[in-house]
Amino acid sequence: MTRKSIIILVLAALVASGLWAGGKQEQSLPFEQRYQSMSWEQIVDEAGGQKLYWYMWGGSDLINKFVNGYVAERLKNEYDITLEMVPVTDAATFINKVLGEKQARRDSGGSVDMMWINGENFRTTRDADLLFGPYADKLPHMQYIDSTDSSISNDFGFPVEGYESPYGSAQVVMVYDSARVPEPPRKIEDLLDWIRANPGKFTYPAIPDFTGSVFVRHLFYHVAGGYEQLLGSFDQELFDRIAPKLWQLLNELEPYLWREGNTYPETHTLLQDLFANGEVYFDVTYNPSEAASLVSQGRYPESARTFVFDSGTIGNTHYVAISYNSSSKAAAMVLANLLLDPATQYEKSRPEVWGDLTVLSVGSLPRQWREKFGAVPRPPSVLSPDELSSHKIPELQAAWLDAIEKGWTENVLQK
Amino acid sequence: MNTGLSLIFMLAPALVVILVLFAGGLALGFSQSLGYMPIIGAYGFNLDAYLQLIKSPGFVPSLLLTIFISVLATLLAVVLAVATALTLRKRFVGKKIVSFLYQFPLTVPHLVVAVGVLLLVSQSGLMARAAFQVGLISDPAQFPILVFDDLGIGVILVYVWKEVPFIGLIALAVLQSMGNDYEEQARTLGANSWQTFRHVLLPLIIPGILPGSIIIFAYVFSSFEVPFLLGKSYPAMLSVLSYRLYTDVDLDARPQAMAMSILIAVFVLILVLFYRRLSQRILRRSG
Repeated sequence: MTRKSIIILVLAALVASGLWAGGKQEQSLPFEQRYQSMSWEQIVDEAGGQKLYWYMWGGSDLINKFVNGYVAERLKNEYDITLEMVPVTDAATFINKVLGEKQARRDSGGSVDMMWINGENFRTTRDADLLFGPYADKLPHMQYIDSTDSSISNDFGFPVEGYESPYGSAQVVMVYDSARVPEPPRKIEDLLDWIRANPGKFTYPAIPDFTGSVFVRHLFYHVAGGYEQLLGSFDQELFDRIAPKLWQLLNELEPYLWREGNTYPETHTLLQDLFANGEVYFDVTYNPSEAASLVSQGRYPESARTFVFDSGTIGNTHYVAISYNSSSKAAAMVLANLLLDPATQYEKSRPEVWGDLTVLSVGSLPRQWREKFGAVPRPPSVLSPDELSSHKIPELQAAWLDAIEKGWTENVLQK
Repeated sequence: MNTGLSLIFMLAPALVVILVLFAGGLALGFSQSLGYMPIIGAYGFNLDAYLQLIKSPGFVPSLLLTIFISVLATLLAVVLAVATALTLRKRFVGKKIVSFLYQFPLTVPHLVVAVGVLLLVSQSGLMARAAFQVGLISDPAQFPILVFDDLGIGVILVYVWKEVPFIGLIALAVLQSMGNDYEEQARTLGANSWQTFRHVLLPLIIPGILPGSIIIFAYVFSSFEVPFLLGKSYPAMLSVLSYRLYTDVDLDARPQAMAMSILIAVFVLILVLFYRRLSQRILRRSG
C-alpha cells in the first residue's frame, strides 16, 4: 500500500463521516416528541412506507401464517407498511436485543420495532425503560376495550399505563385423547391420581417454558387451597409456607411422569409432539382452540378433546409493545390498532386461523360484529365461551411467578 | 514507507474486527460478570456472580457432563475418522460415491442433524415406529432411551456424525501426501500391519489431526444448539445453563450468565492446554 492510497482512504473516511453527521442534523423532531399532538390520520400518514420488524414467539405455524398472511397483507394494502415478522422461542431474546442496544446507546433505528409481550417480560422492559409510550390511548380501536376490566389494564398485576396495547386473550385448557382417556380427571386431585395410576403418560414442559410455568401455577393454587389469598403483591412469608408443599407434591409425582421425571420436554412444542405421538396422554395449552387446529392439520387425533379444571384455569391477556428506539413507531401504532380491528379479531378467533380469544368487549361492538362473533363455528374439541369464562381464574403478580419458577428449578428439577 | 507499517495497515481490517468484536465483547461480558451493569443500576466490581454460580447445586453436575460429552465425542470422532481415512485411501469400486457420502455431513448444519436425530431415534421416532410395526415393542416407552438421556448419547451421536469427516479429510490428506513409501519401508523391515500403523502411520497423522481435534473439542464444549434440543433438562451442559441464565427475565441473573460464559472460555482454554500437552506426550512416546 502506498502513502497516496492511505491518504485517499483517510480522506474518504472523513468525507463519509461528515456526510453521516450532516444527514443526522437534517432530521426533524423525533416521533416520540410529536405523536401526542398528532391526529390519528397524521400518524397513519407518517406510517406509510415504513418497514416494521415485529418480534414474536414463533412456535405456532398457525399464528405465523396469520401474521405473515392476513395481517401483513392488510398492512401493505391499506397502509403501505411492510411487515417483517421475526420469530423467536422466548420473549427474553428480543428484550436482550433492545437492552443491548440501550446499553450501546443506540437510541434510534433499533432492530426491534414491535414485540409481542406480557407478564414478567413487560415488567422487565418497563423497569429497564425499553418501551415507547404511553401510546394505547391514541389508538381508535381502543374504544372497544373494556377499560374497567382489571385483567386488561393490569398485566400480571402490573399496571399497563398505555405502554402496551392488548390484542388477544388466552386461557389454559387441558387436552386429552378421548379414545385413550374416556373420562378426563376434571379435578386437580383426580388428575394427580390418574398420573399415579398411569405411570409415564403425563408430563409438562420444563420451566421457564411459559406453558410449563402456568401448569405448575395451577398446582400452586391447589396446594394453597385456592388463589384468593395469593392475589396482591408478593408475600415471602406466605410463599415459604405454601411452596414446600408444592415441591413435595411434584417430587413425589416425578416417578410417575414421562421418563420418570428424569427429564422434561424443553418446550411446549415438544410436549405437543409427545402427545401427537401417543407418548403422553395429556397436553397443556394456553390456547383453548389449539387442539382443534392441530386436529384439522391432522397432527392430533380426531378424538382429541379439551377440558378445564372444576376449580378453574388461568387466563391472561397478551399485548404488543413498541420499543423505545424503533424508527417505525407510527407504523407500529397502526399495527397495534389494526390488531384491535373487529375484522382482525374475528379472523383471529376462527379456530382454523388461530382460535385466539378476542380481547374486545363484544357487547360494545356494532351489531353486525356482535352477531358474527356469536356465530364463530366451534369444533367438538373447543369449549364454549361460557364454559371458559365461568372457569377463568386470574394470574398472579410477576414476582410470584419468579419465585415459583426459581423454586421449581432448585427444588424439583435439580433434585 | 517501511514494510512494518504497511504490514500493520494490511492486517488492520482483520485485526480491528477481532479486537473490537471479540476482545470488546469479552471485556464487556467480563465487566458484567463482575456485576457492572449501569442499565440496571449495578455498579459493583466483585466476584459474587462467580461464587453464586459455583455454589449453585446444578453447577458441578453440569460441568462433569460437559467434560464427559466433549471428551467422548472428540475421542470417538478421531478414532472413527482415522479408521475410515485408512480405508478410504485405498482403491476400490464405488470409491467416488463412498467419498461423497463420507463428506456429506460437512454440509449439513448441526441444528438440522439434531432435529433429524430427534425424529429418528426418539421414543416415538421413525425407528421406534418401525420397531412397533414389526412387533418388537408395544409402547413408545419400551424403545431404548437415546435422546434426553443421562449420558447425552443423542448429543454425542450428532457430534460424531458431523465431525468424523472433518477429521477424516485432514487425516486422508496427510496420508495421501506421504504416499506409500514409509509403509512399504516398514513392511520390508518386517513390521506387521498393526506395528506399521502404530509406529509409522499414526505418528505421521497425529500432528495433522491434533489441531482439528482441538477445534472439535472446544466447539462441543461450548456450543449450545445440540444439547438444547437433545439434552436432558437436568443436568444440562454448561452452554445451556448459560443460555437459561441469559434469558432469565430477572436481569439480576445477567452477571451470572456472563460469569458462566467467561468460565466456559476459561475451562476450554485450560482443557485445550492440558490436551495439547497430553497428546504431545503421546506423540513423543510413539515417535
